[in-house]
Amino acid sequence: MELTLLILCGGLAVITSLMVILARNTVHSALWMVASFFFMAVLYLLLRMEFIAILQIIVYAGAIMMFIIYAIMMLNLRQETADTEPVRKSKVVGLGMLVVLFFVLLVLGVGRGIEALKGPVTDQMMEKFGHVAVLSNFLFSDYLLPFEVVSILLTAGIVGSVFLAKKGKA
Amino acid sequence: MMVDHQNIYLILSALLFVIGAAGAITRRNAIIVFMCIEIMLGAVNLVFLTFSRANQSVEGTFMVLFIMAVAAAEAAVGLAIFILMYRKAGSIDVDRFNIMKW
Repeated sequence: MELTLLILCGGLAVITSLMVILARNTVHSALWMVASFFFMAVLYLLLRMEFIAILQIIVYAGAIMMFIIYAIMMLNLRQETADTEPVRKSKVVGLGMLVVLFFVLLVLGVGRGIEALKGPVTDQMMEKFGHVAVLSNFLFSDYLLPFEVVSILLTAGIVGSVFLAKKGKA
Repeated sequence: MMVDHQNIYLILSALLFVIGAAGAITRRNAIIVFMCIEIMLGAVNLVFLTFSRANQSVEGTFMVLFIMAVAAAEAAVGLAIFILMYRKAGSIDVDRFNIMKW
């Protein structure tokens, strides 16, 4: 059952990601991207990462895709969707290198486990407290500094985007 | 320490990463390049979560949380830059932006 769901959603995630880069229309690409994020969320759920799956849907499929669709709406892209240029040699070479990269990744990663200390998030704990409680327990103690740094980064992002998109500057 | 079907997750994420990289080098629309980078980030997140689950640790999960926060900040700034590019040159074709080329 789990294997069926994994192969189904994994295959659909690959197909929708392919459609993102193959679709001619930018809006269609963005909509395929939303579908791809949902299938990725299912994969995260299969790994028992409920909180991350929900965040994936809220942050990626909700917030980031809304940004992207707004940007597409504000920029009039209709006239430049057609790729009329001939295929360049550098692109062919690049794609060939990517195929090599894929097999390198397979050889390096598949079939191995990383030897690390077994961590504290056991299945018993997850069942007793739930994913959010276990994560927040660590986030607000051991990982407090990175958490605060991320909040500063997000503030800097807001200020930077307002500054960049301001009219009459630059 | 392995998860069930760990290899399938790893193959999937390698495939997704390569698809994202292929889109990033072949498409010329800056917004599509941006979305391809998001696909690559998603593939990396999948690897982090797989090994985080395999080792029952929180480190990988927190990496994914912080990657998501950085991606959100990146989306805000990046799309503002695209709007600026469009205002200056009337297009967001990445091949036309070679101002910084040496």
